[in-house]
Amino acid sequence: MRISRAAPHSLAGAYALDAIAGKDLVRFERHLTTCARCAERVRALREAAACLGAGPVIVPPPGLAERAIAAAAGIAQLPAAGPIPRAPRPRATSRVAVAVAGVAVIAAGFLGVAANTAAYRLSQQESRTHAIAAVLASADATVLKARVTTGGRATIIMSVREHALVFTAASLARVPSSKRYELWLMGPSGDRPAGMLPRAASNGMTGPVLARGLRPGDRLCLILEPSGGSSRPSSTVLMAVPL
Amino acid sequence: MAVLRIHVVWTAGSQISQRGRAGAADAPGPDLECLLSQVAGGDRDAFEAVCHLVDAAVYTAVLRVVRDPSQSEEVAQDVLVEVWRIASRFDPAKGSAMAWVMMIAHRRAVDRVRSAQKSAEREQRTAHAPVAYDEVAETVEARLERARVRQCLGSLTDLQRESITLAYYGGYTYRQVAELLGVAAGTVSTRMRDGLLRLRNCLERSDEN
Repeated sequence: MRISRAAPHSLAGAYALDAIAGKDLVRFERHLTTCARCAERVRALREAAACLGAGPVIVPPPGLAERAIAAAAGIAQLPAAGPIPRAPRPRATSRVAVAVAGVAVIAAGFLGVAANTAAYRLSQQESRTHAIAAVLASADATVLKARVTTGGRATIIMSVREHALVFTAASLARVPSSKRYELWLMGPSGDRPAGMLPRAASNGMTGPVLARGLRPGDRLCLILEPSGGSSRPSSTVLMAVPL
Repeated sequence: MAVLRIHVVWTAGSQISQRGRAGAADAPGPDLECLLSQVAGGDRDAFEAVCHLVDAAVYTAVLRVVRDPSQSEEVAQDVLVEVWRIASRFDPAKGSAMAWVMMIAHRRAVDRVRSAQKSAEREQRTAHAPVAYDEVAETVEARLERARVRQCLGSLTDLQRESITLAYYGGYTYRQVAELLGVAAGTVSTRMRDGLLRLRNCLERSDEN
């Protein structure tokens, strides 16, 4: 699709989000040099975009700063004026390809977005991801934390408006292959299964799992069940969080 | 028009907490600006301080886009080196120091995701365990900040919010977002702009309160 003559101004938002590539990018950057108003707007929009990255931080792997400091020792600095040549970029390894391919879910605490890179097509999985994003982005989302009695920590982001919650956990105790963790909603409306937890990823993280159909007075419970699931809670409650 | 400064609380690693958080809200801001100008002059001690000040924020921002922890570590390291390399180009008149660093981080992360998208298409690989994050350094300030951003995102229209989040967190271009959402590319670009403006106004308002 071609951009019409009037369009460049409208690309300021996409530019601030780094969401322009290729010819669009070249064209817009050229436009920026002649449009003072656009340049001002881009600055303001960039500040807003940067806010999307604000919030709680994840502790980086140990030694990150030290390795960067060591790497910078061999790098010459740019003078104060002149064009900025792009630094050589390390090439992507196939591991990234695997990580990014298919469906990847961000549960970065407050927002989730689906990334289906294969053909940018909406899939069944994606409607679930959209539901997760809706919970995380909803104005009434609240964060609950809980400990699991057998080990591990759970983070629950709940939206009453969406009648749903997103569950993630870290460092849950390993379970035999015949068993799986299952979420249950328990309350005045009865006990309902709310989702089996997937096996923990290699970094010890589990989830996110979307649980829908929250009703007043519910508690979210975690129970170890047979790996095929269970029609009724069949063992000890390992975590119970009033919602 | 004066450059707008939205007041953002950055939870930028252990150094800040060691220094105490009496003025937590303005924690890395002025400090970081000052340090960056020293880095621009080739001061390696200042660069070291900058790295320790922003490493967690940079890593987090990258991880949100790239998702794979070990790849994110690589990209985060590149970002810090890039801060060293182009420190002379930081202009306080054009925005806050932290927004500048985050811009570099986001750009690099998006670059990485896009090159991975290409190889992913070639390889036609599918499915991988999703990455979830353990939140740490959950200070009161960070929690409030996140709630504020979330609340402001909630004030956008669905299309504005989806366009912005798919681009920022998913690394998609506005054309890819348009394809994903089944709307015209021009519509997406205006929604991104209008949505960011609305987000900005909302954050500004909640700053005043």
